[in-house]
Amino acid sequence: MLVRRELVAQQERHTMAAPVPVLRLPKGPDPNSRGFDPSSPRFIALCRTSIPTSAAPEADAEELQREQQVRSELRENFLWCLHAMTNKKVQFHMHEKVKVEATFGASDIDVLNFQVSDLQTPIGVQKEALIRSQDVISLSFDM
Amino acid sequence: MAMRQTPLTCSGHTRPVVDLAFSGITPYGYFLISACKDGKPMLRQGDTGDWIGTFLGHKGAVWGATLNTDATKAATAAADFSAKVWDAVSGDEVLTLAHKHIVKTVTFTRDSNCLLTGGNDKLLRLYDLVNPEAAPQEISGHTSAIKKALWCNNDKQILSAAEDKTIRLWDRSSMEEVKTLTFDKSVSSMEYVADGEILVITYGKTIAFYNALSLDLIKTVEAPATINSASLHPEKDFFVAGGEDFKLYKFDYSTKEELESYKGHFGPVHCVRFSPDGELYASGSEDGTLRLWQTAVGKTYGLWKCVLPEDLGSENSEQLYTSPPEIKA
Repeated sequence: MLVRRELVAQQERHTMAAPVPVLRLPKGPDPNSRGFDPSSPRFIALCRTSIPTSAAPEADAEELQREQQVRSELRENFLWCLHAMTNKKVQFHMHEKVKVEATFGASDIDVLNFQVSDLQTPIGVQKEALIRSQDVISLSFDM
Repeated sequence: MAMRQTPLTCSGHTRPVVDLAFSGITPYGYFLISACKDGKPMLRQGDTGDWIGTFLGHKGAVWGATLNTDATKAATAAADFSAKVWDAVSGDEVLTLAHKHIVKTVTFTRDSNCLLTGGNDKLLRLYDLVNPEAAPQEISGHTSAIKKALWCNNDKQILSAAEDKTIRLWDRSSMEEVKTLTFDKSVSSMEYVADGEILVITYGKTIAFYNALSLDLIKTVEAPATINSASLHPEKDFFVAGGEDFKLYKFDYSTKEELESYKGHFGPVHCVRFSPDGELYASGSEDGTLRLWQTAVGKTYGLWKCVLPEDLGSENSEQLYTSPPEIKA
């Protein structure tokens, strides 16, 4: 505390004004996520549900449950698919008639990128690569 | 006793910040979006600068970013030849609008139903967001890349600034050019203040104020350095400007007197905007940061805490963070 008093006094002598104190610095980005915290009051209040049935004014409880069940099944299938692809040779069909083959590694949590190895490209083999999932139209592999 | 301005630095971007915009005031406060050459525009809480989220999806530098009034939607313009519309609450991409060249500017109408875009293909495009599959209306006329486009006069007219050194006023319904302002230098920025229909333009070292309806000149003010962006306070008593000398300048609008200048950025200032309540202004720079500056230095607002002189050095100040003293060169 003595040090801070000295520094403040030094500034005052130097500039005749003390800097405005702040409670803390602005929070920076989270390195592990893209943010938009779903538990924030604004998100809870404003985010429309992604289930079409529940977005409708009169949601039939049974239909809602059925829809959610189907969605869960689809999601689960997708995740198992990603799991099954690990270390397998996968063909990627991409935009602009691009077809490449690589050994599938993993997907990131938001399914924005696929990590692959030995990516066969027309200009050579890329030992390690990231494929943007948005660029992929479909992929296929042998189970 | 006068207090010295403590800017709040918002880090996170890894390349120059080229555009920023505030939302209106919502029940959750107001928000700030920043466009960056790293391709990842960010949403922040407007009064604190706290990061809320990053809009991921663009594959090139983002040149323009905007929020609608209630901050539920965001739009971005990028070098990947697309403009994107985002859900600003969830961060999800809602729409990708393909263009034929780099898109530089995007802006919503007040009802958020129409999006205006402009860019290097020299065309202004109007997208109906209610029927996004429909082809956009196109307005041609500019002979060089469009840098900035705005709605004005209750969204009935459009103002656009381009590299052809003109600012043109267009009628939305007829899509015709109503008036043109020609300059001998490229216009670096344009801001529209709806209340009072004032247009703030910067070029060279000049900050010029025009009537947005008639395009009649109100006044010009000369700054000490080349200015890249300026913003008029909502109550029209001050305006701020920033540019190539890295400093932020604050002027009195009526007297044109330079009141203050602040150092802080480590690179040219590309954009500066007042918050909707006028309590702070944000600047984006080549140095990759955004900084928030108080309009009334020393006032308690956001993260700034007013402290009386006798409290400095007392027990109470333990809880406060005082920025390290700047060493004057």
